[in-house]
Formats: sequence, structure tokens, C-alpha cells
Amino acid sequence: MISRVAEHCFWLSRYLERAENTARILEVNQTLLLDFQVPAEQQWQPVLIISGIHDYPGPFEAELVQAHLTWNTDNPCSIASAVGIARENARVVRETVSAEMWSHLNQSYRWVQSEAARQLFHQDRDEFYDRVRRVNQLFHGITDGTMTHDEPWEFLQVGKFLERACQTARILDVKYHALLPSPERLGTPVHNAQWSAILNSCSAYEPYHKLRRVGEPETAVPEFLLFHPSFPRSVRSCLLEVRRALHAISGRPVSEPESDAERAVSDLVGWLHLVRIDDLLPAGLHDALTNIVNRIHEIGDAIHRTYFDVRVENYAAKPFDPAI
Amino acid sequence: MTQTQSQSPPAARPLFTGYRPHAVAWDELFDAERRPHDHCRLLVEGLGRLDCAEFVQRRANADHVFIDEGITFSVYSDRRGVEKIFPFDLIPRPVAAAEWDVLERGLIQRLAALNRFLWDVYHERHILRDNVVPADLVLGSKGYRKEMVGFDPPGKQYIHVCGTDLIRDKDGRFLVLEDNARTPSGVSYVLENRVVMKKVFPHLFQHCRIRRVEDYPQRLRQALASVAPRPAIDPPTVVLLSPGSYNSAYFEHSFLARHMGIELVLGPDLFVHQERVYLKTTHGPQRVDVIYRRLDDDFLDPNCFRADSVLGVPDLMKAYRAGNVTLANAVGTGVSDDKAIYPFVEDMIRYYFKEEPLIPNVPTYICARPADRDHTLANLDKLVVKAVNESGGYGMLMGPFASNAERAVFADKVRANPRNYVAQPVVSLSTCPTWTEHGVAPRHVDLRPYIVSGAMTWVLPGGLTRTALVEGSLVVNSSQGGGSKDTWVMENGQ
Repeated sequence: MISRVAEHCFWLSRYLERAENTARILEVNQTLLLDFQVPAEQQWQPVLIISGIHDYPGPFEAELVQAHLTWNTDNPCSIASAVGIARENARVVRETVSAEMWSHLNQSYRWVQSEAARQLFHQDRDEFYDRVRRVNQLFHGITDGTMTHDEPWEFLQVGKFLERACQTARILDVKYHALLPSPERLGTPVHNAQWSAILNSCSAYEPYHKLRRVGEPETAVPEFLLFHPSFPRSVRSCLLEVRRALHAISGRPVSEPESDAERAVSDLVGWLHLVRIDDLLPAGLHDALTNIVNRIHEIGDAIHRTYFDVRVENYAAKPFDPAI
Repeated sequence: MTQTQSQSPPAARPLFTGYRPHAVAWDELFDAERRPHDHCRLLVEGLGRLDCAEFVQRRANADHVFIDEGITFSVYSDRRGVEKIFPFDLIPRPVAAAEWDVLERGLIQRLAALNRFLWDVYHERHILRDNVVPADLVLGSKGYRKEMVGFDPPGKQYIHVCGTDLIRDKDGRFLVLEDNARTPSGVSYVLENRVVMKKVFPHLFQHCRIRRVEDYPQRLRQALASVAPRPAIDPPTVVLLSPGSYNSAYFEHSFLARHMGIELVLGPDLFVHQERVYLKTTHGPQRVDVIYRRLDDDFLDPNCFRADSVLGVPDLMKAYRAGNVTLANAVGTGVSDDKAIYPFVEDMIRYYFKEEPLIPNVPTYICARPADRDHTLANLDKLVVKAVNESGGYGMLMGPFASNAERAVFADKVRANPRNYVAQPVVSLSTCPTWTEHGVAPRHVDLRPYIVSGAMTWVLPGGLTRTALVEGSLVVNSSQGGGSKDTWVMENGQ
């Protein structure tokens, strides 16, 4: 497919996933605050950092931060911006997405822009965030049912799962800071509530508890969110999906990575398969998570180089046209 | 209580009750005695059963379809946003099948003549040597491209898609207003209008038999594939080259690419290597055989035409002249739809085919000719004067409706550059009942059929009926706030 179009599909997916994740994080954070009196900065700054915002001028007041992350169009990671950018990416490749996908995305965008959405935000915050999450969830449901699962679809998958892997790793990293074990806090309600919040931010609360993990949450929760092979939001399972999609695009078996992108994701997946949580804890989970997030960014760069940035110089050396 | 024109119509009034046709112009639905034309009977019965409130409700339904689907058009002079919805009126414009069949033959005849003319202009120039068309008008035309001299396009086809605008005079006779042989647009609205009409008025479609328009994209694709250069593999790779999403017709580019099942590409997606054209894909470069380009000649190749164009492909003309890629429409077709050349098309038909034109031109004065220029300047209050190389209704003087000051300004322009202007008598365009806030009222319309030509020539049944939305206005162009209607070619016997 055209490189430029693949790039739009990739980013369309990433921005929608980002919007869903932001909504999820904000909703969970709000709920958490109902139970505890936690200093505002401590509670809201992590949320900003997860979204990649390090220069928020403050104040760290609940309504202001939520407004910044929901409506501020100067902030490309806000829900309103992300939905708008996703829709714009779809608009310029309308001939690639199905009519139903476009229709849903266009209507969702118009809803976010509407007065009705603002009112819902003020009157029933949870319902508002639910609706935002459903924009992405419905989009993928419609996509899976109405779009041929060929290359453009695969690039949508790559964007979605790469973004999701990144989000899970960042949620874990940032929230974990607030939860470094200190003797006086172990086992306290705040402590347990924060772990629940991490799990809820990844929609992992029930799946995690179904496994009946033995062990302290400091170990068991990161282990679940990093390594579980089939929980759909774990870092490992997301990267497995990215790898599957890249190999579906190239047609090469998963055991034979060749392009920069395939090799980068294969490396990280391999490492996640072999490493154990106990290996990571002594040095501090933060270092490991930073490393993972950086490597996910490198995968993104490699994808760009491999598929989107086609340069004649890379191809002119060998004949690429059988007709000549 | 008496009903005055300035109030909204009562909700319960049937749609056509109280409809007053235009005093002079031909009405597409009703005759002089306010009875429906034969071919309109079923339509008027079917629509006439609705009352105004029901009709307004259906209009709202139709508007939702347009907005939700993002069926838009952008207007260059409007800075409010990139996209606007193209106004659409729900009352269709019918054409009798028997009348259409004549038009179809006339349009095919005309396109064949234009293609012959282009071949002649870029080869032997017989028609210029025999003084049927003045050489200076042709060679001095903005659309003339010397790069095309001696080049043989596949099948000798220059014009693959043509939009020839037709109008009806006050006696109901069809005339050709102008040809559009470069990048005619609007067909996507024809197709989307039909979708909306079928959703909103299914019962009318059941009662009236209307020729289908949905075949257009596949017909066009077949035509383009049929003009691939000889060594192309089967099936040839056809792409649509667009300037991108900020172009006013982008919706159409995207629509057509999707419905034809071909890739929509931008200039930077393509490159030329060893005089062949390739597309940048996720699997490396892919050879391209036919480019349906919706880009003006000037922007096609910065190494040949405008050097500042970022919309085109460097060295595309080299690949084209080497015969390794087909461009549709060919480069240099602007010389055939030049308004200064238009008056000679009837003579082209006679010259090349020894036939009479089946559809006549509007009588035209060519200001490049001194006698015509003098006549024009002496009768500015009765004529429509047009700049030959503008489109979209810009650069035009509507003599009878202009002020003395406006006419004086225009007269100066004509005197300064007579070659750039032609004049025609004001034709009272036919009207069609159209919904307004005061109820159904006559509004002027024209018709743009689309002719597709490859190995064979095919005419889309009907085409885009463009409607002036302002009462009395004769300017129907979308770029100046006009709207459209669905055109129905009514099968025989209806």
C-alpha cells in the first residue's frame, strides 16, 4: 500500500488508543480520590506525566487538570485533540477506511465538539469518559467487521497495540513511583487502593484477581501487566500483536525477522519472554520500565524508517522492476 | 387570511399547490398550462402527494445523510472552514429518455470532434491551415502545450473524461454552453445525490423508471485501463493523482478512487526512474501505468511546467513522452475547452465528419474579431461577457443585471485585452421547481453530463443539474453558492 496511507492508518489508530487511555486514566483517578484525601499535586501530576506532559504550568487542581487533558486543543494528547487528529488522519485516507468506520469516527468527532458532550462532562463525568472509551472500542469493532484484514488493517493494528504497550508501561512506571514500598505504608488502604487504581487504569482488575496471584502486589501486579501473554493490555501481549502484524505485512514467518522494524520488535518480545520480574526489581523497576518505553519508541522509529519513509536511494541500487 | 409570498407555506398544503412557473423560462416539470410534461406525470403525481411539512421532514433527513457522511465541497473564498456541505434540492430534474438519446448522440459526436481537433492541432494542423479555426487563437491559448507537439497518446485519445455543460433556452431547446475537457468535477455529487434520493424517496423510484448512474466508476476504470501503454502488464496499475485534501474537489477524488477501487495518490507518492513512473509503497516501488490526474497541466511536472509546484512529479513528462505512462486527460486539452475556441466546435464537427452538430452552441461573439468586439461593446447591456480562461463563474459580466459603472469597468477590460473575452446573448435558462423557504418556486438550472472515453465512449445518463439558489440568479456554479439536483432520465413510456 502507499507509504503515506500506511502512516495515516498507523497514527489514526495510535491517537484513538491514546484518547481511550486518557479517558480511562482520568476516570480511575477521579474514583480513587473519592476515598482518600491525597494532596492534589501528588494525585494529578502522575496523570500528566503518563500523558507525556512535563510542562504543565499548574495549578494541580482536579478540574483544571481534567479540563487540560480533556478539552485543551493546544495539547495534542488531550481527548479532544486526539479524537480530532485521529479523524483528520482518517479523512485524508477516507478511501482506505470503510464507510462505516468513517461514519462512526466523524460522528464521534462531532459529538466531542458538541455542547452535549460538554454538558455530559459536567453532569456525569463517568458517563462522559465511558463514551470516550467507546469511541475507540466501537471503532475497532466496526473496523474488524467491515474492513478487509489486509495491509491497511494491519497498520491499524500496529498503531493500536504499539500505543497500548506504551501506555501500560507508562502507567506502571509513573504510578509505581508513588507506591515505592516503605514500611509504614505496606498493607494500608491507600497502598492497596493505589494498586487497584493501576489495575483499573488498564482494565485489569478482575482478570488479575481471577488468577489468584500469590505474592505482594509490588511484584505480582507489574508481572501481570508486563508479561502476561494473553491479557490484551499487557506489554508483552501487545508487542506480540505488533510483531504478528508486521510479519503479516511482510509475509515472512515470525521466526525470520528481516526489516529494522521486525528486528526491533523481535528483540523486545524476546527479552520480555526471558526476563523475570525478580531480575528487574533489585535494580528498580523504574529503570526497566524506562528502558521498555524507550525501546517501544525505537520500534516506532524503525516502523517509520521501514514503511513510511521510502527513499529511492535505498532501492535504486538493485533492479526493482521486472519489466525492464 | 390571505397567503403572501413572504411567509412560510402552510404545513398541510400539498407540495405543488400554488406553484407559479417563471414568466419566460422553460419549466422542467410543467408546461405553459401548468400541466406536467408527459415524462413528468408520474413524478409530479408522486411528489405532489406530499404536503409541505412532510417534504421539509424529508429534507432534514437528507441533510443528516450529507452531514454524517461528510459529503462536502470547499469554497476558496470562504475562510470559515475547509469543508461545506454542497446544497442539494430534493425535487429531481427529469429528462425524457427519447430526448436524452438525442443528447447522448450529440455529446458523443462533439467529444469525437474535440479529440480529432486535438490530434490535428498537435500534428498536421489541417484545420488551422484550412482557416476553419484561426491559428492564433489556438497557438495563443493558455491551454496550448508545445510539449505535446508530435506526441501520439494511446488510441489517439486526449479527452478521457469530459463535462459538457448544457442549457435549455426559453423554447426548451438544448444548447451547449461550454465544454470542460481538463479536470471536470461534480460527478461524485451526481452519485451521492442518487444515494440520498433513493433513501428519501423510495416510493418514487418504484413508480418511475429511472436510468442508473451507479455504473460510472466502473465504466471510468475500464476506460482508463483500456488506454494503458502497450507494454503494461494485465491488469494495468491505474492511480488517481490528486492535489490533496485542501483542494476544493478532494471529496470527489477520494470518492472516485474508492468506488473505482484504485489508489488515490499525491505527487510525492510517485517518482520517475529511468522514464518510468513508480509509486512508493510499503513493499518498495511499484510501477504505474495510467494516471487519472485531477491536477492542472501547470502543476504536473516541476521540471517541465511550473517549477514551484510541489503537487506534481518531477520528470513525469519524460515518462509520458516516452510512452511509458498514460495521463488522463492528456496534457494540453485546455486548447479545446478554451472559451475562445468554443464557437468553432460546430465547424469542427462539420469539418471532420461532414455532419451537422446534433446539439447547437449558444450563439457567441468572439471579441478577438474586431466586428464581434464592436458589437459586444455596443450591446453590453444585453450580453453575458466571459473571460475565456476562467471557470467557476468568475470573471463574468451579466450585462442586463449590471450597473452602468460595472459595465464601464468591463468595457475597459475588453478593450485592453479583447482576445480574452467572448459574449453571448442572455439565455433565459430553464427553471425547475425548487424548495425555498416560501415553498416550491422556480430556480434556473443547467445540466452537466459526463462523457467517458477510452476504447469506447459512454455517457452517464443525466449528470449534474446545477441550480441557482438565489431567485432570478443565472449563476449556478458551486463555487459561488449554487446547489444541485438529481437528474432523472425517465425511461420511455413514462
